[in-house]
Amino acid sequence: MGKFVRPLVPGTTPLGCWEVLKQGNENWSKRRRSDETAASRNAVQAPFAVVLACSDSRVPPEVVFDRGIGDLFVIRVAGNVLDKHVTGSIQFAVQVQEFTKLIVVLGHQRCGAVEAAVQGLKLPEPLATLVNALRPAVEASRHWPGDPVENAVDANIHLTTKQLTDLFQKDGAVVLGKRYSPHTGEISDPQPWKP
Amino acid sequence: MRKLLLLLAIPMMCGAADVPCTTPQACWDLLKKGNDNWWKKGRRLQHPNQTPARRRAVKDHQAPFAVVLTCSDSRVPPEVVFDRGVGDLFVIRVAGNVLDKHATGSIQYAVEVKKYAKLIVVLGHQRCGAVEAAVEGTKLPEPLATLVAALKPAVEASKNWPGDPVENAVDANIYLVAKQLTDAFQKDGAVVMRKRYSLDTGVVSDPQPWKP
Repeated sequence: MGKFVRPLVPGTTPLGCWEVLKQGNENWSKRRRSDETAASRNAVQAPFAVVLACSDSRVPPEVVFDRGIGDLFVIRVAGNVLDKHVTGSIQFAVQVQEFTKLIVVLGHQRCGAVEAAVQGLKLPEPLATLVNALRPAVEASRHWPGDPVENAVDANIHLTTKQLTDLFQKDGAVVLGKRYSPHTGEISDPQPWKP
Repeated sequence: MRKLLLLLAIPMMCGAADVPCTTPQACWDLLKKGNDNWWKKGRRLQHPNQTPARRRAVKDHQAPFAVVLTCSDSRVPPEVVFDRGVGDLFVIRVAGNVLDKHATGSIQYAVEVKKYAKLIVVLGHQRCGAVEAAVEGTKLPEPLATLVAALKPAVEASKNWPGDPVENAVDANIYLVAKQLTDAFQKDGAVVMRKRYSLDTGVVSDPQPWKP
């Protein structure tokens, strides 16, 4: 499997790449969107960031970061939790193809999968397995003050970020844990982890 | 259980007002039109539902009209290639658009539990890197090897098809994944569409016919 030829990417360091994403999110939350064109669609894939986000229809990374074709290698699954396929996808981008060193874990406010995990709803398989993967976050944040769902959303961001850091730090990857607000459109840091 | 279903149904009913289509076919027609905006000469991207007003309208409840399973490849963002916006598509993306418990569970959440949509689109794409790896039989580290192994049935099934082995396996994978989803969610009235995206042209079309 040959490596793709790497054309110019908008950022060369993980944090430089994050600045580009942050600027894009400001465009989105403050309504100054740039316009991708059909002409950009033939671009060779050289994404400058990997984004792990939720399947929720309100969190499309390309929209909330105001980016287009060829920019973001995106994994989306309800609750943005890891499993072999998700981690394997990230491994493909970061370790095998070496597209980029920036991985963004993007949780979001009022995540339905996290809500289900907090409420302990009885769910059919295989959804139950997915929701189970959110239990450690619910457990870890059980005694945090405030809203249990928002706390578990944040704990899940921290735990997922930690797992990905442990796996891909050796490849020089920088993993940023972020949370998205469907209310304001803004991407911010999760609350600090409380031991 | 009934109480649970009622609980889950409330947000769905609240959000139902802004669903732009009511049948799987009508929902697909919307996606098709959006894809036409993306690649057809003389058509323009409309960027529907990419406004602060839309963001506010769906801030409390989502009501996506389609579920899309596609690849992590940066060149296949469904919201762009179908010209849709926020709150429209419930999207699962994983390299090679293969199923596992989490991917199927996510779709189950949208289709069976929340009942957002009855349309599920399986969107494979040309020159998929994960499929390429499966065809070449490259030795890969775990857990990527597990993901690529999930593509082996498609490689096997299309082994004797004439033409490009990667494109054939891309198509076979679309069929096999769509079949699994039909088996899982047909009972919920779901309609699963098999589609492939061309990186060259931007067109979403049908895969080549299955060859037994």
